[in-house]
Amino acid sequence: MSCPKTDHLLQEYFADDLAPFAREEIEKHLATCAHCSEELGALMQTQSSLRQWQEQRVPHWDRRMNLFPAEGKPQSVIARFFSGLQWVPTAASFAMLAILLLNVSVVSGDQGFSIAFGAAAKNSLNLQAELAALQSQQQSEMQALIARVEDRLDSNNVRLLQAVMEQTQQTTSENFEQMYSYFEQQRLLDLQDMRVGYEQLVNSDYETIRSLQQLANFVSYEGSSR
Amino acid sequence: MSPIEDDDALIAAALNGSAFAWEKLVKRFEGRVYNLGLRLTGNPTDAMDLMQEVFIGVYRNLHRFRGDAKFSSWLFRIAHNKAVDMNRRKRLLMSKSKSATLEEGDVFETIPGVPRDEPENRLGEVQLNRQILGMLTRLPMDQRLVVELKVFQSLTFDEIAVMQEISENTAKTRFYTALKKLKDIAEEHHVLS
Repeated sequence: MSCPKTDHLLQEYFADDLAPFAREEIEKHLATCAHCSEELGALMQTQSSLRQWQEQRVPHWDRRMNLFPAEGKPQSVIARFFSGLQWVPTAASFAMLAILLLNVSVVSGDQGFSIAFGAAAKNSLNLQAELAALQSQQQSEMQALIARVEDRLDSNNVRLLQAVMEQTQQTTSENFEQMYSYFEQQRLLDLQDMRVGYEQLVNSDYETIRSLQQLANFVSYEGSSR
Repeated sequence: MSPIEDDDALIAAALNGSAFAWEKLVKRFEGRVYNLGLRLTGNPTDAMDLMQEVFIGVYRNLHRFRGDAKFSSWLFRIAHNKAVDMNRRKRLLMSKSKSATLEEGDVFETIPGVPRDEPENRLGEVQLNRQILGMLTRLPMDQRLVVELKVFQSLTFDEIAVMQEISENTAKTRFYTALKKLKDIAEEHHVLS
């Protein structure tokens, strides 16, 4: 025994927002239709059977899944440097420096793009002429400078020599005067010393003569007394 | 609820690089996601793979979560999409490796086994789940997803329609068809009391 309304009615029965009058209609039909009623009971039983599901525990697993850096282990300097985009300005600076140092030039011609390192060949002759001109100019400037420096040095030397000679002459005359006065002083002192020595010598001679006279007097006295 | 217990606070902290906040957030939802995975894939290995894919997806898109919807709804939308992707990948892989014709949706392990590392006292519980899985894995994936969303995630047909990009009526019909099929399987095998 089957019912043509079963699927339509039961599908509506499981709807979320079944209107009260629609539910009443379905309930009315279920009360009279054994097939639909049995079918609904079986479906409800199946649904409640599914709800007997027992939550199963999650097996142990790594919840961080290497999404986070390990705590307490700081990233290396290199890893930190490359972790963001902070390396971009540095890389750009290096690239610019390399371009400037290598004198890289990109030329687009008939055969596509070409990259050249150093001066392009067509400019090399001009560059050499300019370099030669610059070199000769620098040489002449340098020579003029040297000449000026030499002149200045010569005049300075003459002045210095004159000053040294003047100072030397002055010093020499002063020295002569000092030496003269020193020798004069020494001569006077020596004369004084000689005079004192001579007087002492004379005095000692007088002493000797007086002793001889006393001795002679004594001897003559002894002779007379005998 | 303290600030750190709030989903939004945990999300903000995780976005600032707090692994602790991220783990707390994952712990809060991992059970539901894992069990969803078990019911949709039919086996623990695929359920674990799916769960990891879901949380990697959540982490990578966390900065896009604006908070205008519930975080759990957003997360289960990702889980739904990942399950669909995974089923598609498996179907593709099996169609290449096996010449045998497969009914759509039966690409996961059709007869789920009891995990070998389950303790004895959990066997009864696992046995009941195994019977449910035995029924669910007989459904095509689109019907299995509707049953999952309606019965286990308690979504309305309107929400299911939005998530699956189908009409509400199609969602209702799909659910009813799935329920009828499950009833037939149960009657056929007398697996349920």
